[in-house]
Amino acid sequence: MATEMMLSGCAASAQAAKMAQVEVICSYPIRPYSAIMMELSKMVANGELDAEFVHGEGEHAQLSVVLGAAAAGARALTGSSGVGVTYAFETYSPIAGGRIPLQMMIADRALDPPGDFGSEHTDAMSCRDQGWLMGWAETPQEAFDNCLINYRVGEDHRVLLPQFVCQDGYFVSHITGKVMLPDQNQVDEFLPPYNLPHPLDPKHPVSHGPQIRPDQGTIMDMQRAQAMLDAPAVIKEVIDDYNRIFGRNYSPFVEEYMTEDAEIAFFIMGAHTMTARHAVKHLRDQGVKIGLVKLRFVRPWPTQDVADALSKFKAVGVVETSTSYGGAMRGGNLLHEVRASLYDLPQRPLTTSFMAGLGGEMVPLKEFYYMADILSKAVKDGKTKKTVYWVGFEAED
Amino acid sequence: MFNIPKEKEVPLGCVTPAPVTEQPMMITGNWREYRPVLEPEKCDLCMNCVVFCPDACFQLDEAGEMVVLNEKYCKGCNICINECATDALTKAYELDFDDGVVRLEKPF
Repeated sequence: MATEMMLSGCAASAQAAKMAQVEVICSYPIRPYSAIMMELSKMVANGELDAEFVHGEGEHAQLSVVLGAAAAGARALTGSSGVGVTYAFETYSPIAGGRIPLQMMIADRALDPPGDFGSEHTDAMSCRDQGWLMGWAETPQEAFDNCLINYRVGEDHRVLLPQFVCQDGYFVSHITGKVMLPDQNQVDEFLPPYNLPHPLDPKHPVSHGPQIRPDQGTIMDMQRAQAMLDAPAVIKEVIDDYNRIFGRNYSPFVEEYMTEDAEIAFFIMGAHTMTARHAVKHLRDQGVKIGLVKLRFVRPWPTQDVADALSKFKAVGVVETSTSYGGAMRGGNLLHEVRASLYDLPQRPLTTSFMAGLGGEMVPLKEFYYMADILSKAVKDGKTKKTVYWVGFEAED
Repeated sequence: MFNIPKEKEVPLGCVTPAPVTEQPMMITGNWREYRPVLEPEKCDLCMNCVVFCPDACFQLDEAGEMVVLNEKYCKGCNICINECATDALTKAYELDFDDGVVRLEKPF
């Protein structure tokens, strides 16, 4: 029997890891993600989870430990937040290039300076181009589900890529929500045992990570590129399976809310989607034709799905919770990808980005109303004034 | 989707067979600027070169009577020359050899 519990994002993630029967866990403390490790260490200590629990001496070590474990044939898990995520940066490319499908759970935290512990997507987003799958959860339930979904996709032999499974710090990681915990046999049906095609095995010795020549580098890069090209079809298949087995209703890449006949829309991912959805509902009550599109995977970026979803609007506001200083749009990273996705369409919606929720600030309803106002004005004027608005700090508009 | 010529193929994740004494996918001898040259009559088989070579390029010959250099993989770091107990190894400019690797388009 599936059971319903009230769990924080961290606790839900730990439950998912337990049900995925992870075999090696490596931790190093940094808030807010460390609550995941707190839960897992209790499970291991209480004998509920049969896993090796290793303390790394830093995030670089954490990733190195799980790389070794996953290379040797164990399902491995680690995680971090903020500067911890960036401290391990060197390891991300070799793990993806070596095609080792381990999982890293990230509960976002703003990068320094100064030591801001609030949530911001910039930590994980800075690592998005290393060949890892990446996506955000909106709720503890989604954090639970994304762990299992990502293990299955990443470990699929057509993909074989590591996974950043992200959730907003505090807003998801530390606020409890309803989580349906499935039966272990449902999880076992969904997630086959870890089976690496090229494990380190004394009976069949191989070398991992040898030095290669420059002319082999391109081929290695192409292997990773190909895996990313193949991943969307696998993700669709896996989400279908997940929905069937667990009775969920996920769409693989983008989820739409009140988009029928909408003229303007928010494009958003992660925790603040929940507030945005309420804002959309209230604005609809007032007669504003507004909708919402939520992104579930940043990598692989679902170019066609984003184009299809956004092409029907007149103006789209991309809510950014990450920074891209000096980038083409002067705002966050999502608008770059959104605009690139829309470029080939014969008719493109107007787009702009809203810098909101940075440093862990809340994004209250009134900020979404402000954004909706700007989008409505853009539709009326037939153009956007700027490519980026720092919500709450603009002199006019 | 990609068209990769046979000779450029790289195994998945660049996972290579092991244990091997030579890795044909990664020949480094053509990096060499200076070549260690052995004078066998000075060598007393102290084996320092065998131990210190970071690429395991020195091995005993089949008879077990003399050390030999595997030039395919010697990068020319010359650590062996520093470590040789009897000064049996000296460094020579690779370009001075007729078969100097830097002269060859395909060295091996």
